Amino acid sequence: MSNGQVSDRIVLDNVSRFYGEVLGVNRVTLSVPPGITSLVGPNGSGKTTLMNLITGLVRPTRGSIQVLGISPSDPEKLFRVCAYATQFDSFPRGMTGFQFIYSYLRLSGMSHDDCQRTTAFAIGRVNLGDAAHRKIAGYSKGMRQRIKLAQAIAHDPRVLVLDEPLNGLDPLVRAETIALFREFAAEGRHVIVSSHILHEVDTISDQVILLSNGYVVAEGQIRGVREEMSEHPMQVIIRCTRASVLASRVFEQDHVVEVRLHADGGGLLVKTRDADRFYRALNHLALDGVGIESVAPADDNVNSLYEYLIGGEESTR
Amino acid sequence: MISQWLSQIGLVIRLEMRKTFFSRRGLWVYLLALAPVLIFLGHSLSEISNRKERQAMNAAHPVSTETLRSIQRGATLEEVVEKVGQPFAKMEFHRPRASFDIYQYTDGESVYVFGFQNDRLENIDRRDRDTIPKDSLIFASVFQFFYLRLAIFFGCVGVFTNLFRGEMLDKSLHFYLLTPIRREILTVGKFLAGLIATVTIFCTSTFLQLAALSLHFTGSEISEYLAGPGWGHVASYLGVTAAACLGYGSIFLAAGLLFKNPIIPAATVLVWEGMNMFLPAALKKVSVIFYLQSLSPVVAPPDATLPAFQRLLLTSAEPVSGAWAVLGLITLTVVVLAVAARKARKLEINYSTD
Repeated sequence: MSNGQVSDRIVLDNVSRFYGEVLGVNRVTLSVPPGITSLVGPNGSGKTTLMNLITGLVRPTRGSIQVLGISPSDPEKLFRVCAYATQFDSFPRGMTGFQFIYSYLRLSGMSHDDCQRTTAFAIGRVNLGDAAHRKIAGYSKGMRQRIKLAQAIAHDPRVLVLDEPLNGLDPLVRAETIALFREFAAEGRHVIVSSHILHEVDTISDQVILLSNGYVVAEGQIRGVREEMSEHPMQVIIRCTRASVLASRVFEQDHVVEVRLHADGGGLLVKTRDADRFYRALNHLALDGVGIESVAPADDNVNSLYEYLIGGEESTR
Repeated sequence: MISQWLSQIGLVIRLEMRKTFFSRRGLWVYLLALAPVLIFLGHSLSEISNRKERQAMNAAHPVSTETLRSIQRGATLEEVVEKVGQPFAKMEFHRPRASFDIYQYTDGESVYVFGFQNDRLENIDRRDRDTIPKDSLIFASVFQFFYLRLAIFFGCVGVFTNLFRGEMLDKSLHFYLLTPIRREILTVGKFLAGLIATVTIFCTSTFLQLAALSLHFTGSEISEYLAGPGWGHVASYLGVTAAACLGYGSIFLAAGLLFKNPIIPAATVLVWEGMNMFLPAALKKVSVIFYLQSLSPVVAPPDATLPAFQRLLLTSAEPVSGAWAVLGLITLTVVVLAVAARKARKLEINYSTD
């Protein structure tokens, strides 16, 4: 890998972290490209540990980490390009939202005027302008989440690490926040988020990292990961006018392992071991007048990946 | 780079000031610092009241100092009364074989207590009002026993251990660790913030203690004292107070980083400092109180008339010169701060276990 490639990636090389005898994460090797990356896994799977390792709040027991070529043990350089909004819902006592962002921003070496301007801009981006000069202690949970996010984005970082950033946000703010993540990612930055809300992860992520018991069980783009799981046939839902005819034709394909007709007779669920061959075959079948209305994959989402790889304990959340 | 570090230290100090000066959690530090001021204020007010009472007694039973001083043991009760008149207070005790009379006189400044047995003067006890030399020894005792060893000591425990440990308990330390600042710079900034706060609080208290203690002296007595060793003593006490904050501050900053429960290191250091006078010479130097006692303006051995315990407290075994004491204390502080900075560099955020 050339230097140019390394410098825009977050690279973890065989990283392990133990808390005494308790495993945090084990033998994690990742090379995370820019974009929105979601860390998904049940409680205790190592998501927060991984974020803490990337930002230097904890140190690896083994292995090495580079964030855009910078070691997390060098905060002086790292936090000029990186920001981390932790899950901790606590703030320095007695501060207003504005003071909170301004004070820590000043430590980055910005002038008073620049800090004032940047702070106001960051607070505006999370729509907290009206509450900027109120004490954080009086903020609602959603406002506290937003002020943390504002602090994280204030110095315009290239790497944004966010632990459960959507918790406590109402649907409107949630949508605005996701739009902000997309904006960041579209500019070629890293947005690393952890979340329990799988359908949201599905919607926002460019890639996912699935963790279980401290191990990375899968990583990459959701579809790519799904395609590699050959032990779980791909599921495709087809809505059509002549479902029973299509079902019999589809079942003639040797890679199709199961076909189920919908109760209303207007569609079917197909399980296939080779999605590409199936879609090619379906193109031919469509020409035979079976009246296909829609075709949609049923299980190439994070929820299914989670269920297949980790188990169903939290997949419904 | 250095200017950036200095700027960051300044910003950390500003951020910390609010927490160290105005936190409700630190209210007891102010009370601790104020306690000796109240003690000396009470002492002065009591002295002023006593003097007024003596002057009133002297006006009611006038007698001169010379006359009172001319009274000798062996004089009879009648001779004494004839010479100095009736006392302002008297007591009588009768036993089967003897009678006792106690007569009290005052010249407005001192109280003379004459003890008669079987009408013959057996004992003369003169109780002078407090003088500056006497009060300066009282001050030195309170300063070294209570103020340095307890008030400043525990004040520094409260302020400096909280600089890191308090933020870990509040779960807000990570905000610092997620800024582009070297941990060593953060440590220095926090230490200086604590130092400014404690020096301000405790030096103000030292000054107020001296002011409170001097309230019962006349203007001319105070002017005479200040023209002599007075200002030097004031400066020395302020300097020793600041030095105590420096030394204990560094230790408790490190303790806040190294230990989850700062009470354990505080108790250990308290015992270590307490047994300093019994330690071998080499070990004495690994303590703060050794240097502070060497810097204290009241020199050992103090007045032989003082009680043995008070003398022990005021005695600095093998004191070193002021320059060596300052150098020793600074060296100790720098070494402890280096240990603290090293620990801060490796500090991890794991609030659930802190």
